[in-house]
Amino acid sequence: MKLSLISAFGMSNFTMFIKPPLFRNLHQSVCSSVKSPPPPLAYIKPRMPLFLRPSTHMVAMLDLCKWYEWAKSLASSVGTTFEDVDNGPDSSLLRRELKWLVDDVTEDRAVSLLMHSEKCDRNVGIRVSLDELYKLWKERIEERRPFQYIVGCEHWRDLVLCVQEGVLIPRPETEQIVDLVADVVSDNEGLREGLWVDLGTGSGAIAIGVGMMLESLGRAIATDLSPLALSVAAFNVQRYGLQDVVELRQGSWFEPLKDLEGKVAGIVSNPPYIPSDNISGLQAEVGRHEPRIALDGGVNGMDDLLRLCKGAGSMLKSGGFFAFETNGEQQCKHLVEYMETDAGDCFCNVNIVPDFAGIQRFVTGFRK
Amino acid sequence: MEGLLRPLCSSSMVSSPKPRNNKASLPIQLLPLMPISSRCPYSPNFTLSTKFPLSRFPPYVLYATQERQVGTEVNNDVREWAMQDFYSLRKDVETVSERVEEIRASAGLQQLEEELAVLESKAADSSFWDDRAKAQETLLALTDVKDKIKLLSEFKAKVEDAETIIMLTEEMDSIDTALLEEANTIIKELNKALDRFELTELLSGPYDKEGAVISITAGAGGTDAQDWADMLLRMYVRWGEKQRYKTRVVEKSPGEEAGIKSATIEVEGRYAYGYLSGEKGTHRIVRQSPFNSKGLRQTSFSGVEVMPLLPEESINIEIPDEDLDISFSRAGGKGGQNVNKVETAVRITHIPTGVTLRCTEERSQLANKIKALSRLKAKLLVIAEEQRASEIKQIRGDAVKAEWGQQIRNYVFHPYKLVKDVRTGLETSDIVSVMDGELEPFIKAFLKYKYSMAVSTSGVINDV
Repeated sequence: MKLSLISAFGMSNFTMFIKPPLFRNLHQSVCSSVKSPPPPLAYIKPRMPLFLRPSTHMVAMLDLCKWYEWAKSLASSVGTTFEDVDNGPDSSLLRRELKWLVDDVTEDRAVSLLMHSEKCDRNVGIRVSLDELYKLWKERIEERRPFQYIVGCEHWRDLVLCVQEGVLIPRPETEQIVDLVADVVSDNEGLREGLWVDLGTGSGAIAIGVGMMLESLGRAIATDLSPLALSVAAFNVQRYGLQDVVELRQGSWFEPLKDLEGKVAGIVSNPPYIPSDNISGLQAEVGRHEPRIALDGGVNGMDDLLRLCKGAGSMLKSGGFFAFETNGEQQCKHLVEYMETDAGDCFCNVNIVPDFAGIQRFVTGFRK
Repeated sequence: MEGLLRPLCSSSMVSSPKPRNNKASLPIQLLPLMPISSRCPYSPNFTLSTKFPLSRFPPYVLYATQERQVGTEVNNDVREWAMQDFYSLRKDVETVSERVEEIRASAGLQQLEEELAVLESKAADSSFWDDRAKAQETLLALTDVKDKIKLLSEFKAKVEDAETIIMLTEEMDSIDTALLEEANTIIKELNKALDRFELTELLSGPYDKEGAVISITAGAGGTDAQDWADMLLRMYVRWGEKQRYKTRVVEKSPGEEAGIKSATIEVEGRYAYGYLSGEKGTHRIVRQSPFNSKGLRQTSFSGVEVMPLLPEESINIEIPDEDLDISFSRAGGKGGQNVNKVETAVRITHIPTGVTLRCTEERSQLANKIKALSRLKAKLLVIAEEQRASEIKQIRGDAVKAEWGQQIRNYVFHPYKLVKDVRTGLETSDIVSVMDGELEPFIKAFLKYKYSMAVSTSGVINDV
């Protein structure tokens, strides 16, 4: 199943459904030409996640076990060091990651053999070389390279999304946005069959989650400024067979959507919202490795959220829904206040929704 | 798998015959006077004669590999084979006879007959048809009991037939192959029927056919208990593999020094749940602590829970949202984009009963939530069944804790070696084999114990 997906997947397919920006993108030098045909943005080839690679590297079970023991002791040596420094992962979380890494590079059987350390002489096929495995786990511990970039994917909701450096790793909190959308479309035919927009889609997570939920009824457009993010999103959209549901457009926020003003049923986004000053103090996995462009929301972290609110007024059709993720209580309150006072009386039922940890995380509401 | 409940089949005697020098010990009157193969060439027990009809192959071809004197007369060989077959058959008959007695006893034949009497007197009552529904019920029960008694009598009659043939053969000067053949067939069919009966009687719970999820949790007591939990994990994995079940350790959280805090095993295959359900409870170990320099005697506990592995679509119970307390592990700090931790664990508590489940093995929260919820439902279904509650709402939460934590088995490594089941009283000193997954005797004993308990405590008498 997996294999057939890869083999059926030609890189040329990307261009078919990534629309070039209609307008010249001011923030972006990559697509500054106005030439036609569109610039070859889509030819950025995403890195194949480990779990989709063929298991062509034969290794002795014994050597794999040796690596596993080494990796386990490296993970254990961390103790709570990372946690103490920047709220990073402790040994037990790292060991869990290690197990998942093993899951991703081996076939089923090998894992269980490892787990019971029933050593034997046979060889097993793995998806990367043993040297690569040593290198990857070293990067994980020594450089704090995020686990999701190591394996090239993140399990998010019931999806497995491919990610790589340059693309924000979707967070568990964001899973809830799809539930918020599910709630509003459940008793609203108009919204269910309307056009949904995911702004700053990154790996395509929200758009794919919403697209799966809308099934064939709805349509979604996902935008991103980063061509790399769009390539990864395209890969993910294709993997879930949603190329007829989710359309990808490149550009900054509402720029690629000028043709849709007043026609959009719903807008969802997880925009950059971390205040610039906080970036340097972030957990190393985030601050050192994830794209700053997806995290940094300006001085108070509200730059992009406010831009979204302004744009939402003109993009949404009457009765349209929006849900934005924020950094927490302060931003939520700020945003609600802005919508109720400064946004020209065009929103109603503006609400703050807490995430699973009880932190006020999302602002939702409707266009009047 | 079906072999689990069967006594060891004595047919091994047939497959590895050592006919040399046996003759001397045979009572002379049992020697057949005629070559069996000429009268009954297709008897399945006569392996050599069916595979290689004597007419086609000279005997030295048959025995060329058996370090055998080529000059031995054909008739002698045939006679010896027949003796082997007779002995093996006689042993089979003995075994089956014991089995029949065992089954008749554990099925509560006497009680069944009492039930039958009660039901019949009810059916004969003049007011019997006043309550039609109840009458219908009673008649159904009556048929059930009658069928069961009939079946049990048939077992008895069949095995007596076979015994008669054996006795007859022993008394006679000759072997009547046709008769022996008949006995052989009886035994085979009877064994099959007994297997079926045992399986349907002992594993007749609504979820017994399903796969199973085993969760092992180390009790209080630190490293010793965690090591004990790890030993149990290995024991069940070995058991599963021996039964050829698809056995997967889906979650394992290691202890600080050694062993595990908890682990979850999924066992896929028919009747896995039926066999394992009796393993649920507290398992106690007594040994010299390997983690204590003084080597003091140490008692530790680990809890084992077993739930059926139910396919998502087969669990059709709805639990109202307000009855569920779902909590997700928190990565700490500000969350959202600020943090990247693989904290995906989900814990669900069913508020009315206090039944709690935690799922950490999946890589996304949603996936863990779905899995935790389906396991919670499976657990509630099992508890409901145990408490004979027709609805989840009727479950008595207070009883759950007491029942599921009951100590069921002791494993003593020191000062002597003994594994003893608290419920059935079954014990063995071969603790090494048990820890290596030799659980059949315990599982079988418990199933029988459970069955006889059910027979003696419920029964139609009380219900109707």
